[in-house]
Amino acid sequence: MPESTLHAELPRATLVTKKHRRISVIWLIPILAAVVALGIAVQRILSEGPTITIILKAAQGIEAGKTFIKYKDVNIGQVTAVQLSDDYSKVKVTAKITKSAAGLIVEDAQFWVVAPRITLSGVSGLGTLLSGNYIGFGVGKSSRAQREFAGLDVPPAVADGQHGIQLTLKAAKLGSLGIGAPVYYRSLEAGEVTGYNLAADGQSIEVNLFVRAPYDKFVNAETRFWNVSGMNVSLGADGVQLHTESLVAIIAGGLAFDTPSFADGAGPPTGSTVFSLFDDQASAMKKPEANSQHFVLYFHESLRGLSVGAPVTLLGLPGGEVTDVGLDIDPKTQALRGRVEIVAYPDRLIGRLGEQQLAIGQTLAESNQERHAFFDHLVEQMGMRAQLQSGSLITGQLFVALDFFPDVKKAQIDWNLTKPEIPSIPSPLPNLEAKLGSILTKLDSVQYEAIGADLRKLLNSSDQVMQDIDQALIHFDKSITPEMKIAIEAFRKATLSANKMMQSTDAALLSPDAPVQQELRDAMQEITRTARALRVLTDYLERHPESLLRGKPEEKN
Amino acid sequence: MKTSEITAAQAGLIGCNTCSLLTHPVSMEHPGHCPRCGAKLESRRPNSIQYTWALVIAATICYIPANLLPVMNTTALGSSEADTIMGGVIYLYTSGSWPLALIVLIASVMVPLGKLIALAYLLITVQRGVKGGVRERTRLYRMVEFIGRWSMLDVFVDTFTVAMVQLKPLMSVEPGLGVVFFAAVVVLTMLAAVTFDPRLIWDSGTEIEVRPVAAPKGHPSVLNEKSHA
Repeated sequence: MPESTLHAELPRATLVTKKHRRISVIWLIPILAAVVALGIAVQRILSEGPTITIILKAAQGIEAGKTFIKYKDVNIGQVTAVQLSDDYSKVKVTAKITKSAAGLIVEDAQFWVVAPRITLSGVSGLGTLLSGNYIGFGVGKSSRAQREFAGLDVPPAVADGQHGIQLTLKAAKLGSLGIGAPVYYRSLEAGEVTGYNLAADGQSIEVNLFVRAPYDKFVNAETRFWNVSGMNVSLGADGVQLHTESLVAIIAGGLAFDTPSFADGAGPPTGSTVFSLFDDQASAMKKPEANSQHFVLYFHESLRGLSVGAPVTLLGLPGGEVTDVGLDIDPKTQALRGRVEIVAYPDRLIGRLGEQQLAIGQTLAESNQERHAFFDHLVEQMGMRAQLQSGSLITGQLFVALDFFPDVKKAQIDWNLTKPEIPSIPSPLPNLEAKLGSILTKLDSVQYEAIGADLRKLLNSSDQVMQDIDQALIHFDKSITPEMKIAIEAFRKATLSANKMMQSTDAALLSPDAPVQQELRDAMQEITRTARALRVLTDYLERHPESLLRGKPEEKN
Repeated sequence: MKTSEITAAQAGLIGCNTCSLLTHPVSMEHPGHCPRCGAKLESRRPNSIQYTWALVIAATICYIPANLLPVMNTTALGSSEADTIMGGVIYLYTSGSWPLALIVLIASVMVPLGKLIALAYLLITVQRGVKGGVRERTRLYRMVEFIGRWSMLDVFVDTFTVAMVQLKPLMSVEPGLGVVFFAAVVVLTMLAAVTFDPRLIWDSGTEIEVRPVAAPKGHPSVLNEKSHA
């Protein structure tokens, strides 16, 4: 075919194969995967915090990968490994701290295991029952980083970030105070006991406590602390009073503090201020007495029931206390007598003067001479005497009362003695026994014999009366009995006829065919029927109460 | 009996990918379309090796975070726990249910890894033109393709658990980032298995042993079968 040869001569086009070796778009996928994976890796590495080790006594419920380190309930790290220490005596916990909290991991940071704890003063760590134990963290003040820590055995009593002050008290004995015992301020819980230890000399206990803000500002150098452990029962004129701070304080012990009004101006406590712990509020809040005067009293009677610390009252107001109770030999008569030493606080009584007499009080308080003169006046002119009085009939407790007895022998106070004597007079009723004794003596003196003779006379005369009555009865029998007989006969007849009449009436009424009976029976039956009808009616009404309004519906059939 | 068989490509023919019709292409470079079903004809999947490599590498990259990152974050009663796949296996094993541990280990760790290795092996042998074991390699490929759909087991378990365990204050389960990577591994290896053209295996090993039992009955077996299908 000519055409084909013609065509065959033409040059053939070359086919340029497309380069398929070109990098395909598909490679974007591995690149993307690599970028994402690398990004995550880089982010992980960048967010990596420090790794720390904590040495604990025991790994209470701490598990690698599950236990967190928490600060203010925020996770700041996670335990990555729990191992024994090299000498197998402790537990080495390795934890990874988040980067944001890395700055907290400083020298004096604290770590401890938070587990549920039940103490007398409360239950803590309840949340860990569900979430498992975690490691608590207490912030430190240092700025030097550290990576190895020794964990605390017990959680610190003072939670982190709490403001307040640490105080030290000195007490003779610990009593029932324990760690965690509450500290009250006006019955509000203001802090707690954080620890205690024996003083270096072994003679007292040092109690450490923490008073939280804002209560810490009520503590100054003059603040008094006292024990409120247990309860305080007092029996007074207004009944039995029971004082406790709280149930916790009864069981776990507790402290209370307050600042007496006279010490309001005292400065804040310094770090070295050591407070003393008083037994009760009264002794704690007692004002230090500026003026005190010691006296001695002598009594010629039993001092049983009088104890050191018993009050000394003036006109019933407390003005001092008994400091010693003992014996004394009267140098003049060689007689043994009771010796009672008292201390009087004149300021207390002066402080009770009315407002108009403050000036007088002031001079009395300031000048010893004036006060002595006034006392002399009281004793010499007014007849002020000391007397033992019973504070309570039940317990027999005595106290010293200074009262006025104008008609006693004149006496004086010798102010030259170191302990001047206040003259005393015997108590009116030293004790209950004496009182009872006197009653018995009085009973003794009653003339029982005379009373007996009188009684016999009385009985004799009553015998006479009885005989008279006897005679009168005999006379009565003789004169009245025959007439009585006739009267009784007549009465019997009347009764018989009455009996007859009753029988005939019976026949009319009670025989079975008596008309009355018949009618009665009919009536009864009628009543029974009525009652039945009523029952039906009430039954029906109960079931169809609407029939009261609508009437009985027509029967359908 | 040893015989050499030719492939469709060697005979200048192309089997349609869609309807398997054996046709004469317009040319080997631009084969045109299938006369029966209209699908685009291709002798071999274009860029198959390159595509598969890219997907296998991407899957390998994803495999690392899939195993290192937690797949599940369990929060129960305030304590939360992040589990990686391997952590779960260890947990199951230590808690005594080793059959379950074995299942998870095989399904979630070994299978994806095996798929990656198998695909890489296929790619390397094809690229190197290795001749032997063609039948075995084909079986391997078939296995990889078959197993792909089952590898999502872990992801299913994860999603089910997350959806069901939402007792908010008491317990909740949240998916971890690891599961995303795990799913990526599975999807990428499945895609890689699809993009890999098994015919490439046969291109390099043209001479094969045909065992009499395995050989189909008709004489020009391969050609006939393809055209009849």
